[in-house]
Amino acid sequence: MGVERPAEGLGENVLTTTIGKVVGWGRANSVWPAQFGLACCAIEGLMHTAGPGFDIARFGSEAMRASPRQADLMIVTGRVSQKMAPVLRQIYDQMPEPKWVISMGACASTGGVFNNYAILQGVDKIVPVDVYIPGCPPRPEDVLNALMILQEKIKAQGIKPRL
Amino acid sequence: MPDTRSEQTLAPGVTITREREVGGDILTVNFGPQHPSTHGVLRLIVDLDGEVIRRVKPVIGYLHTGIEKQMEALRWQQGVVVTDRHDYLSPPINNLAYALAVEQLMGVEAPPRAQALRVIMSELTRIASHLIWLGSSGIELGAMGIFMYCLRDREKVLDLNEEISGFRMHTSYIRPGGVTADATPRFLEMLDAFIKEMPANIQEYEDLLTHNPIWIERTQGIGYLSAEDAIRLGATGPMIRGSGVPWDLRKDRPYCSFETYDWEVAVEPAGDCYARYLVRIKEMRESTKILRQALDRLPGGPVNVDDRKVLPPPREELDTSMEALIHHFKLFTEGYSPPPGDVYVAVESGRGENGCYIVSDGTHKPRRVKFRAASFVNLQAVEHMALGHMIADMIAIIGTADTVLGDADR
Amino acid sequence: MTALKLTQGILAHGVIAGAEWVSVPRERLRETLTELKSQGYESYVFMTCVDHLATPTVEKPPERFELVYELRNMKTHRELRVRVFVPEDDPRVHSAHDIYTPANWDERETWDMFGIHFAGHPDLTRILMPDDWVGHPLRRDYPVGGEPVDFSEDHEVWQTAPPEA
Repeated sequence: MGVERPAEGLGENVLTTTIGKVVGWGRANSVWPAQFGLACCAIEGLMHTAGPGFDIARFGSEAMRASPRQADLMIVTGRVSQKMAPVLRQIYDQMPEPKWVISMGACASTGGVFNNYAILQGVDKIVPVDVYIPGCPPRPEDVLNALMILQEKIKAQGIKPRL
Repeated sequence: MPDTRSEQTLAPGVTITREREVGGDILTVNFGPQHPSTHGVLRLIVDLDGEVIRRVKPVIGYLHTGIEKQMEALRWQQGVVVTDRHDYLSPPINNLAYALAVEQLMGVEAPPRAQALRVIMSELTRIASHLIWLGSSGIELGAMGIFMYCLRDREKVLDLNEEISGFRMHTSYIRPGGVTADATPRFLEMLDAFIKEMPANIQEYEDLLTHNPIWIERTQGIGYLSAEDAIRLGATGPMIRGSGVPWDLRKDRPYCSFETYDWEVAVEPAGDCYARYLVRIKEMRESTKILRQALDRLPGGPVNVDDRKVLPPPREELDTSMEALIHHFKLFTEGYSPPPGDVYVAVESGRGENGCYIVSDGTHKPRRVKFRAASFVNLQAVEHMALGHMIADMIAIIGTADTVLGDADR
Repeated sequence: MTALKLTQGILAHGVIAGAEWVSVPRERLRETLTELKSQGYESYVFMTCVDHLATPTVEKPPERFELVYELRNMKTHRELRVRVFVPEDDPRVHSAHDIYTPANWDERETWDMFGIHFAGHPDLTRILMPDDWVGHPLRRDYPVGGEPVDFSEDHEVWQTAPPEA
């Protein structure tokens, strides 16, 4: 809906849009990852991406929350072992909606180099994943790229509930 | 009923006696496996009496990857890739332990240029590992700036890794028989620039922390480990050198011609977290010294042993020599088979003694590969160091042990 | 063999790839370790187990499981390997955790991965696998596991159990 008769000078100062777009824009630009560093990918994907070289803070993800209840994104950085899988699921369940999951690296996406009894062959066996990043470990730029893809996804989701 | 009077040794000759009112209840607190300050997926079950730690039980296994079983299913040369990933803060050093073990069993030795390049990679990795330790320990104790400084310099090491091997982290650069590729001229230039600016950067870290009253309060007198206890508990690396025992595998069981370089072992007598911090800072300085010497006298020559049973022939030869073709075929389909036997080789990583014990039954796949993980053993000392301290000091103690859970769980 | 002064009970000794080793019967394990510790081998490096199921070597080991203890003398900078062979039908041996403290966790790991029982260990529970895991993964007849990979014939042989097992 628009304004029928804009007042003097009001034209440049009013934007009209949908609630979905505003909410999507707000959510996408302030995605707070949970600190869920498991293995090698955590060094590249959490530490170096948050570090001075690649700076995830300029994408809005400065606040890497320790508590999952305050986070919206879980970047699964590393291999998920049999003992860790229920813990991961519990952390995921503790995150409030809306929440997203990025599966970083080959181990989190498919089991990676480790096709054996000890490693879950892909974290998507226990949580729904939004973006997969291949690599062992992926470069921090890959993580930023995945974050940007996720941001597009979040903007497109708007205020629709997640099925 | 817990004691109301307790004595604790903070340093040699310094004990502190506490006399308190005690409520009588023990509170059991669970630290992690998901925790910002446990340096990985470590779970600690801590019994607290008020704020004082009465018992610590580490629970590991949350990163158990089955690396040792995986390597039994891979050929000897394929195993190099998997060795990178257990102590993921020092991948080239893991590769080095495995490569030296296989070479010892096969009876080959890498040429001098390869050994010098191995020393360069090993010391670069030690610096990178200590930088991550310093950055994360700092940020866990509240020193946020040091994290960014350390990552800035670690980026330079990762750029060097990328230049020489194509990978930032898991280089798989050092393999049985030599190294995968020679150093490019650009690598040598970058290394020279890195060595020139590193001492000033280390001085920057020291300016931030060494005389910082908050840092001193949080690390001096915390986590005391006497020399006898360090040896008894099997601690290695900065854990034992911070307690006054000058044991460093590069000096005492040298490998890769480390004995030909001129450097000092970093030792501090105090035995607390502050001493271990000073040891690691000094190790970074000594590593820079070793890098300078290695770069200055980098010998010429091949980077791979000229043994066709271990490494494939150059591709140009495949067009003309039938024997080269057969060697190539054999190596890439079946792989080489060391003679039956076992060997143990230990190298000094950022955490301590990182060893590789391999058992060969004469086939092209190992019978058993065991990694002697420094973190696995050092973690057993954490309980001893933490008793009697306050809960906030638990973070400082876990930080000082510098455990990598990939190493501990394998 | 220099500087090794064990009083009795050695089954075999030798040097392999530059390292000294000695093999003792499992009943004499604790005496051997105590004696070596008093002779200067105060530093414990590691302990592990090797499963020789259906090994193709010409010289077969006497039993299926071989426990390997690596000790070090920090003054002479020498290592010594102590081997103990444990039979398959009775995989029990005495714990050495009171002689060498770091053996505590190594023994738990060996129990977890191989099923060797250490008598006298204060807390012999699983350390790497979940507590309710069934089986001992590093035994050679335990499959590597994981998922079969399409179009990869390598995965058909992606297991460590020898064909005779």
